[in-house]
Amino acid sequence: MQLSRNFKVAIGVLAVLALAAFGAYCYQFVNGLGVTGMSNGTSWGLYIACFMFLVGLSAGGLIVASSASIFHVTEYKKVALPAVIVSTVCICLAGAFVLIDLGGIVRVWNMFLTPNFASPLLWDMTVITCYLIINLVYLYFMTSKKADQSKVAIVSRFALPVAILVHSVTAWIFGLHIAREGWHTAIMAPLFVASAMDSGLAILLLALIWLNRRKIFATSKKLIANLAGLLATCIAVDGYMVGCEVLTTAYPGTEHANELLGEMFFGATAPFFWFEIICGVIVPFCILVFAKNRQRTGLVVLACVGVVLGVFCKRLWLLFTSFIHPNVMGAPGLISGSSAARASEGVDAWAVVSSYAPTLPEVVVAVGVFAFGILAFILLAKKFLRWAPEGDDAQAK
Amino acid sequence: MTKLGIAINLDRCVGCHTCSNACKMSNNVPMGMLWNRILTEGVDVMDGAQGTYPNLSRTYLPVQCQHCENPACMKVCPTGATYKDDKGRVEINYDKCIGCRMCMAACPYNARVFNWSEPRREPDFNYGDARVPVRKKGVAEKCTLCKERTDAGELPLCVRVCPARARTFGDLDDPESEISRIVRERGATQLLEDKGTRPQLYYFG
Repeated sequence: MQLSRNFKVAIGVLAVLALAAFGAYCYQFVNGLGVTGMSNGTSWGLYIACFMFLVGLSAGGLIVASSASIFHVTEYKKVALPAVIVSTVCICLAGAFVLIDLGGIVRVWNMFLTPNFASPLLWDMTVITCYLIINLVYLYFMTSKKADQSKVAIVSRFALPVAILVHSVTAWIFGLHIAREGWHTAIMAPLFVASAMDSGLAILLLALIWLNRRKIFATSKKLIANLAGLLATCIAVDGYMVGCEVLTTAYPGTEHANELLGEMFFGATAPFFWFEIICGVIVPFCILVFAKNRQRTGLVVLACVGVVLGVFCKRLWLLFTSFIHPNVMGAPGLISGSSAARASEGVDAWAVVSSYAPTLPEVVVAVGVFAFGILAFILLAKKFLRWAPEGDDAQAK
Repeated sequence: MTKLGIAINLDRCVGCHTCSNACKMSNNVPMGMLWNRILTEGVDVMDGAQGTYPNLSRTYLPVQCQHCENPACMKVCPTGATYKDDKGRVEINYDKCIGCRMCMAACPYNARVFNWSEPRREPDFNYGDARVPVRKKGVAEKCTLCKERTDAGELPLCVRVCPARARTFGDLDDPESEISRIVRERGATQLLEDKGTRPQLYYFG
């Protein structure tokens, strides 16, 4: 395996970030989740937001790969392998974030000893495990010389429904709580599937364009443009669903809904909401809706980056807006319980409305997990993918 | 069946926080946590007044685990650590809690607190009732309806210490109990009734 100097430096940096995350996690393991910014009011933070985000990212890959054989979209078969690699890496990271977020991971075996089948979290763990296994089986059938290629078609028939279930069950971790008005909506699962489709496709396109440039794996311009067209449709669906949800919340004009939308439009989570709407939906859609723009790699990359960051911001506003205002309001409010609050005296230990900001160890862990994912993707891509350009692209080179 | 609960007379509550502190003491609740909070309603500062002069009012709302008949926290707990016991109380098996905090997101009343770090106490020893188990880092906790005391036939400490005698403890399934009479005759209401959790804590006055 020939590696350029820049490449080695990049791998080195990623490895250092991943190691730093491991160190920060050890620190968190010893001192407890108190080293994060979470509190009794905002009891989930950056980790759970990243978990939602990564489950979504892993979708696009597997949905493209499996629809290649289910719906006989033959062009997509060519990118099935890199798609499954992206999907596998993302779902591993998503699972890692759930485990990192557990305060009592030493007691996690209780999930097997006395499972409560009414809990969406239990089902999420089950579905994510199934999804990971399907990804690995897929990877095996596509890469092993001994494996029977025709079996791919059978695996993909399971892969597509499980991929949709993974997002739905992840949505139900939030959507089934009657306590949180911002989450408790039937559209939560379809909304998650839509976000998964557009962010997943965008990350797949970014991966393919990068692999093309590094001469690791060739994808024709025509196919990139085709996938970008599909992405435009997915962005529109995602934007439509956000619109449906916001209108349904806003129209009755109830007190709690007004508080929620106030935070989303003008308050604490407004920057994330508006970033998602503008840079994650409107701008990428306006770029990709024109066939001419889909031919230009630079614009496709710009749109994809916008979609990925936009969906990440969506995870943030979706998660945090519902934690800000407690249902039962009054002074002095919630006893915060965060490390900072416990170190302070008197009223500073309380919060009428809940706030959250990630701490340094939390950010180091999150960044490092992503770095580890990129590293894993590069290594898997180098191992499994072959540079084989075709048609006019080959001539151009 | 037994269905234990508390009815709180809001007209008698003077916002003294004695129940809150007694609870913290009896249940060995560490710093940065409370199982029982007294909220001053409709304001953002403790003991503030609602309205504009001269039409002012001040009301208090004690909030703790509502020991719901249909507990949202119990349903979402992946390990079954949160359970409804034979006396109708919502309890936590701390050895099973994996610290996922599903229950904290699910509780409409923000009744639960989490051991984010190693519990710290001032003064630095386990000041709680000797019968109350000590909780570890990484588990959720909340009002147990003073499980250990009520199992021994004593009143929950918040009920016992209230100087205004605002709290009534008893069996909601026994039609002859004082609490059942209050619920029947005094028009007692529950917190966030529209959430359908059917609390066993009642408010009247």
